[in-house]
Amino acid sequence: MQDLLNAATLGSIYLLFTLGMALVWGTIGILNFAHGATFMFSAFIGHVVTKHTELPFLAVIAIAVAVGAVMSTLTQLLAFQPILKRSKNQHAAEMRILIGGIGVAAIPLAIAQRYTRSSPFGFRSSYDAEVYQFLGLRITTTALIIIVTGLAIGIALTVWLRNSRQGLALRAIGVDAETSAGMGVNRPALALGTMAVAGGLAGLAGALLTFHLGAIAPETGDTLLIKAFAIVVLGGLGSMLGTVLGAYILAAAETFVIFMNWGTWVNAVSFGLIFLILLVRPQGLLGRKEVRRT
Amino acid sequence: MAENTVEETRRGRPLLEVDDVAVHFGGVKAVDGITLELRAGHIYGVLGPNGSGKSTLLGAMTRLTPMTRGSFVFEGNDYTRRPARTVHHMGIARTFQTVRLLDDRSVRDNILLGQDTLAKAGRKDADARVDEVMERVGVTAVARMRPDELSYGMQRRVEFARAIIGRPRLLLLDEPTAGMNSSEREEIGALMKQLLDEGITQFIVEHDVQMMVDTCDYLFAMNFGKLIAEGTPAAVVKHPAVQEAYLGKGAGTHA
Amino acid sequence: MSDWYSMNVVLIQTTLTTLLLALSIQVPLRYGVFSFAGVGAFGIGGYTGAMAMVHGEWSTWPAVLLGTLVAGVCTFLLGLVVQRLTGLYMGMATIAFTLIISVLAVNGGDWTGGAMGLYGAIGEITTMHIVLAVLIVVAFLAWTEYGRRGRKVDTVREDPELANALGIDVNGYRRLSFLISGLIGGLAGAITTLLRSTITPSEVNFHLVILALTAIVVGGARSWVGALIGAVIFVWLPTFLSFVQEWEKVAYGFIVAVAAIYLPNGVLGVVKDLWHKSRTRDERARVAVGLQEKS
Repeated sequence: MQDLLNAATLGSIYLLFTLGMALVWGTIGILNFAHGATFMFSAFIGHVVTKHTELPFLAVIAIAVAVGAVMSTLTQLLAFQPILKRSKNQHAAEMRILIGGIGVAAIPLAIAQRYTRSSPFGFRSSYDAEVYQFLGLRITTTALIIIVTGLAIGIALTVWLRNSRQGLALRAIGVDAETSAGMGVNRPALALGTMAVAGGLAGLAGALLTFHLGAIAPETGDTLLIKAFAIVVLGGLGSMLGTVLGAYILAAAETFVIFMNWGTWVNAVSFGLIFLILLVRPQGLLGRKEVRRT
Repeated sequence: MAENTVEETRRGRPLLEVDDVAVHFGGVKAVDGITLELRAGHIYGVLGPNGSGKSTLLGAMTRLTPMTRGSFVFEGNDYTRRPARTVHHMGIARTFQTVRLLDDRSVRDNILLGQDTLAKAGRKDADARVDEVMERVGVTAVARMRPDELSYGMQRRVEFARAIIGRPRLLLLDEPTAGMNSSEREEIGALMKQLLDEGITQFIVEHDVQMMVDTCDYLFAMNFGKLIAEGTPAAVVKHPAVQEAYLGKGAGTHA
Repeated sequence: MSDWYSMNVVLIQTTLTTLLLALSIQVPLRYGVFSFAGVGAFGIGGYTGAMAMVHGEWSTWPAVLLGTLVAGVCTFLLGLVVQRLTGLYMGMATIAFTLIISVLAVNGGDWTGGAMGLYGAIGEITTMHIVLAVLIVVAFLAWTEYGRRGRKVDTVREDPELANALGIDVNGYRRLSFLISGLIGGLAGAITTLLRSTITPSEVNFHLVILALTAIVVGGARSWVGALIGAVIFVWLPTFLSFVQEWEKVAYGFIVAVAAIYLPNGVLGVVKDLWHKSRTRDERARVAVGLQEKS
């Protein structure tokens, strides 16, 4: 039972991290490789600020969300938008955006590694996690917050994409960029907004994970990035509900592997899943049927 | 040419037989049971409003577009089940509706691509041949330039040259004069007739009626994926079904 | 000259092995296949070579050959499985393949030395040997870039459907690119490992992918010359610019991002463009005049 609860916490962390990436990728078609760096750097700025002044929980979260949103917006403005403008076709743009993202990601990573000498960092905060016990299960307030926030945002995004005007416009872009432009959708503005939201989510995930674990390493973002990719592929690109499912399935599978004492294989779960899904059901569990194969 | 009788245009050895070809995209019947026969030594044209299935038919003929049913026989060989790349080897070349050239290769290289995959005999004297082809379509002066430095009309000529360098026996042209001015159109029309004299049969998809009447000696008319008329250009243009497709109820679909 | 050589022998060797690794990633890109499997092949080649020497007591060159071949075969088989995936999906599937290799190495027990890596594969490899291996690889690649082979490869990358219509076996070329990438990656891995006498699982990771990609993106993805330029820049830059040493990784990230935005064809692409412009100055002037006259 405790393992199930741990899996739920882990899944919620994955979910918070992946939601932003899945939102951007599934709608405006950008696979942002700097998402992991945004996640890490938001927490890192929180770390630097709290080094000087002790801050309450919510203030740290706010800083991280703001930093994430700003970083992500800047990435879109300074890197992805110019690339899109200069690319002949979708295929060329995809590749350059991936490479550009890798380059952008390397910058905050290197800065954080230099500053922390590649050792884990945390926050100095007045916040103190309490441990609850019921029915023999242990759960911290942080874990509880993570689970509730993860689920709430996941469901909220799903509903919003389905029902709101902006959600419809975003999904239209995801399906057919040209037609949606003809229908009067302002693509650059929407893209910028989406990237900002995704960055904010990355910052939120970064701060919450750091509170939960006490500290994260500069490289944590990279590991999560591959897992997030596995989750999106598993759930199905363009489906927020699929992302929610994918996050918990991956977390459950990894928890199971650790439970069975196969700890050194735990990373193979996500890599193997990517492989398996792409070959067996390339559109993912809930993805729309899309041209993913030539 | 419009003076030809139907009997005259049915002369020549059989080149391509298209039998009951259909291409359905889900519920959309883009091409729905087309049967036609092309004989060597003619310029054929397919007339039809936008969206009538002309280009899809061309896609199916080159095996690039997967078809729902039907068969193709070229010079006695059924190639219905063969991969798309073998179509070029058989002696069928094509151009595309939009210009598709390699922008970071020279005009000369782009043209040479048309014969790069042919057997050794087809690539004999490639250098002399490419010079000759460039001269004929009028791109010799820009041989070393890149396609994206040229005007649209020039780019279309390069595509034309790429299609004919391998001496195909059947040339499929998808709106060959789209985006050209009237003098360029005339040049291309003259070139097509010249190629015919050299034994290259042509099959043109186009919605410019005048151009088709001037150039072709046999016309097919399509609408909603079906053949609605065929015969000499004069007869097809006057055919009531064609008149209706262009001017009548179907007028709204004509761009 | 010999003083300079002996002072820089490690850098020279690193340049050459980095070039091989970069080429193993560049080949599929040149064929329009977004595959990072070359880095996985690097791991397979390195481990196979080291295991042949340590466990099988093979001598250096048979071990290198075995590593190269095993990596080539594995990568080719991977290609058969993933060849229908497009763009990003292909990229991520092959990154997953690479990372699985490193997980396998961690869990290989005595065979692979586990997380600590495999030690004691002391090969007899000199700089001359590496130069020779690189020359063979480069000669082969230059051959594939020349004339009609080069034109066909370019078409497969730029417009696969057009390639098909022109009679080019697109899928065949794609499969071939996996085989070549695997062989070169395996060779790079085996040589690097036997040169250093050790390989660890943490070497076969995402950062190796980034290193290879960086060299290609900055140098140029269309030709082996670009990979050479990239390898030279990234191996030698830190020794020339001390401030770069300090901020090495920040600078690399910045350079990669800028190259992706402004130089999609790398330094080589810029050079080629300039060469093309100067060579065709007269033609372009004539065309410009011609257009004016018409309008």
